[in-house]
Amino acid sequence: MLEAGFIIKSLIILALFGLTLLIATYSTYAERKVAAFLQDRLGPNRAGPWGLLQPIADAGKMFFKEDFIPSQASKWLFIAGPCLSMLTALMATAVVPFGDSVKYTTGPNQILTVPVQPIDVNIGVLYIFGVVSLGVYGLMIGGWASNNKFSLLGAIRAASQNISYEIPMGLSMIAILMMTGSLSMGEIVSQQHGGNWNIFYQPLGFIIFITCAFAECNRTPFDLPECETELIGGYHTEYSSMKLGFYLFSEYINMFVSSAVISNLFFGGYNYPFMDSVHQFLTNNLGAIAGHNVATLIGTVVLFGKIFFFIFFFMWVRWTLPRFRYDQLMNLGWKGLIPLAMLNIVLTGGAILFLKPLITALLK
Amino acid sequence: MVYDILYFNKHHTSYTIHHTPYTTHHTPHTPYIIHQDFKTMADKLFYFLSFLALLSAMMVVTAKNPIHSVLYLILTFFCLSGHYVLLNAQFVAVVNIIVYAGAIMVLFLFVIMFLNLKQDDEEAKTNLTKIAATIVGGTLGVILVAVFRKAQLGTYNPYSFNSQVGMVENLGEVLYNDYLLPFELASVLFLIAMVGAVMLAKREVGDRHF
Amino acid sequence: MLSIILLSIFGIVVLFLGFQKSKNILLPATLLCIAIAFAANFVHWNDAPGLYFKEMLFENRLTMSFSAIVLLSAFLVVALTRGFADDEAAQPAEYYAIILFSLVGAIMMIGFDNLIMLFLGVEILSVSMYVLTGSDKRNLRSNEAALKYFLMGAFATGIMLFGIALLYGATGSFNLTDIRGYVGTNSFSISTLLYVGLLLVLIGMLFKVSAAPFHFWTPDVYDGAPTVFTAFMSTIVKTAGFAAIYRLLSGSFEGIYNFWWFTLAAITILTLVVGNITAVYQQSFKRMMAYSSISHAGYLLLSLTAMTAQTPDAIVFYSLAYSLATVSAFGVLMAVAREKSVQSHENAEDFEAFNGLGKRNPLLAFVLTVSMLSLAGIPLTAGFWGKFFIFGTIVERGNLIWMLIVAILMSAVGIYYYFKVIIATYMKDGETGALRVPPFYRIVLIVSTTLTLLFGLIPKLLS
Repeated sequence: MLEAGFIIKSLIILALFGLTLLIATYSTYAERKVAAFLQDRLGPNRAGPWGLLQPIADAGKMFFKEDFIPSQASKWLFIAGPCLSMLTALMATAVVPFGDSVKYTTGPNQILTVPVQPIDVNIGVLYIFGVVSLGVYGLMIGGWASNNKFSLLGAIRAASQNISYEIPMGLSMIAILMMTGSLSMGEIVSQQHGGNWNIFYQPLGFIIFITCAFAECNRTPFDLPECETELIGGYHTEYSSMKLGFYLFSEYINMFVSSAVISNLFFGGYNYPFMDSVHQFLTNNLGAIAGHNVATLIGTVVLFGKIFFFIFFFMWVRWTLPRFRYDQLMNLGWKGLIPLAMLNIVLTGGAILFLKPLITALLK
Repeated sequence: MVYDILYFNKHHTSYTIHHTPYTTHHTPHTPYIIHQDFKTMADKLFYFLSFLALLSAMMVVTAKNPIHSVLYLILTFFCLSGHYVLLNAQFVAVVNIIVYAGAIMVLFLFVIMFLNLKQDDEEAKTNLTKIAATIVGGTLGVILVAVFRKAQLGTYNPYSFNSQVGMVENLGEVLYNDYLLPFELASVLFLIAMVGAVMLAKREVGDRHF
Repeated sequence: MLSIILLSIFGIVVLFLGFQKSKNILLPATLLCIAIAFAANFVHWNDAPGLYFKEMLFENRLTMSFSAIVLLSAFLVVALTRGFADDEAAQPAEYYAIILFSLVGAIMMIGFDNLIMLFLGVEILSVSMYVLTGSDKRNLRSNEAALKYFLMGAFATGIMLFGIALLYGATGSFNLTDIRGYVGTNSFSISTLLYVGLLLVLIGMLFKVSAAPFHFWTPDVYDGAPTVFTAFMSTIVKTAGFAAIYRLLSGSFEGIYNFWWFTLAAITILTLVVGNITAVYQQSFKRMMAYSSISHAGYLLLSLTAMTAQTPDAIVFYSLAYSLATVSAFGVLMAVAREKSVQSHENAEDFEAFNGLGKRNPLLAFVLTVSMLSLAGIPLTAGFWGKFFIFGTIVERGNLIWMLIVAILMSAVGIYYYFKVIIATYMKDGETGALRVPPFYRIVLIVSTTLTLLFGLIPKLLS
């Protein structure tokens, strides 16, 4: 009844889902360690060896705290807020390719090739963009349902910030799409075979994209929705227990997803230089199927290396840069990034039209 | 997306990464009839989505709290996107979510939150208005129901039907060839709307500063 | 066709001209743009009629004439905006750009061959009108008018869009030619969706031209909007709207004339009666003009109901006569009201504003008289021939004589309220002291009055 391909795909999806949660959990630990390192402190070091059990202890604490709902709050929406936040954060990984493909023998001369990617829809980039644009609802609904001025202000800030930064984000993606001619994540990644990464063609697009990614994740320097000096806790002021935990957790998941998307769009995903020779070497030594699978594994490890670097980068920035003022944030978004992103599109279009034929003519 | 999962264990013997699965599904010599399982599944989904869409659309109108109205409207948009996916028009589905659910409705919520319309003070309407509105709406409803009951709806030929028509590539072809002029002139419309909005909302000398 | 592209570009150019310190260049630049578009409109005059841009636009002499009327009225109205930039806070570049863009929408409506073009054209024109209506930001009435117009207009557009969707559902095409083909070949098994779709599209369009059951926005919006834009609305939107309705009905639905003529006839009669009777009771000149514009919509609908071979010519002539007369009437009102509003803000636009105008400024009084006579349809003015041609189409149709009788009765009512203005101008005593008129106004008013008289004396000039 169930085909082998289906089982493998399910396993991949499950593994990636679990991995996402695990990484998000340990991002909290990493954040504190990185912060400690940057500030010349020790960081968590009591729970378990090197404090490794700290996230689990934190989770236990979250679960056993009182789950409080303010009496004037809109009850169902108050509960829906963090759930939506978590849901949208987890949805985005569905189209991100985490590796090349797994091969599997189903019978004599029948080889099944399953991509290491939950679903490869041919509008993957748009799907991610859509899910990201929905992310703000969790914050807005939670902030409004709390029936608290500070929460509401935080929610409104979150909404305007996300809307504003979605535009340059989409525009910088368009430049990538113009280059690759496809909306499928798998296609975009496979076009960056070897060391032919998009970052070398789209440096400006990358800078715009990562800036917007910071704003979309509500990370410092753009964490105004939860800016404690002005708004207590922002949209999650009234939240406690695991509902608060969901909000905090979804931020880390978002960070992981953004890092994964950046790695895939600009840094070649699972591609790395000389991957063909590695693939050749492995298939020669381990056989066609096993060698291919090991090569895929190496690619996945490389991808996670890139992802971890970007997660570190997120934390690095958080503990280095101060927070923006609100008008500065808006000015940067509307007057800085949007025109830059449009310029990037025009430059990319010009390059595709004139530079590309020129280079191909010269190479001949 | 639904499409992909549903197809997975039925009609596929090999997966390759560089080809999206869709290109192999509906080659002209495989008419629709083969995919009977999928059709019934799609039918069920269609009825479920339609039910949800109609229900949430009703709730948009009947909900007392404007915030709830907006949230139901978002749900309606999701149902419509589901319909688009069933029609194999994924691009429209996702763009619908990005533009309507992701941007326009966020602004709606944003404005309503600012206005703080929490206290449900109903607008006073005279009975005459209510009766007139009921009659007009009811008449339109009756006419539409009558018309749709009698309507001969167009059919498609399963052999010449191109199931890929909703894909991005085909959409782009049509948009930039046949519909180039309206596509470009739509930008004039948006420019007017933007210029007008900025002009009307811009703070002038002597206006109140909040 | 060329003018659409030109105007789109000119609009952006004018927006950028707004960066300059001196605002004086904007008005001449806008006028020049419209003049160039006017000239470009006639480039294809001698070519065979044809479809352009993958069957999106249709062009023949009729659509070119309509475009020419729209551009001419726009030229005259824009010329009346002199003094617009004097207010320090005003942003004339944006207004002029929006006006130019709105003309794009008008020309799209005139020559559409695809329902998408119709929808986009209607939207472009309407959205610019919403903005221009509310452009007097400090004025509460202007704000109210803009909001009212916007809300109702958005609903009308929604209804029209629903109709377009139903038409598509019935015929499988947005193309007028294809729809015509569908109506022609399946005349015995036309889908019921088509009928409802047609009615809904018609409702949307009739709202835009303010025909009777859909006219409730008109008086408030015409009254609240700045007078220049009232003039703009009552000439350009109306001309484009009727061109669009004519194009829709004649282009696709002549085959089912028996279905829609009665609906249109009922709306026509209602429009004529409501417009003319209500206009009698108005105190404000602007409100009176609003109802008069409703009644003129009725006359134009009369010709559409007849739908004979002469209908397009009649509509073109009537639109031209109506536009010229309306522009000069509003021009005079602006000249008088501007003077008046300096002294007191109240009732600057009532009939009393014209009291004694015959002595204060004979030129203005003459212009006003000619325009009122033309609107009333008195011989020797263009309005007479307009009504004559319109009634001619009804006579040609034959079985609609009863509508003609109603129309003539209503014209008689019209004469009453138009003469009220003339009486106020010459017979009543008002303020004394000469009224000075800026030279720019004078030129515009003289041009439109001369044209009105010219077409009144020699109606053959246009053909």
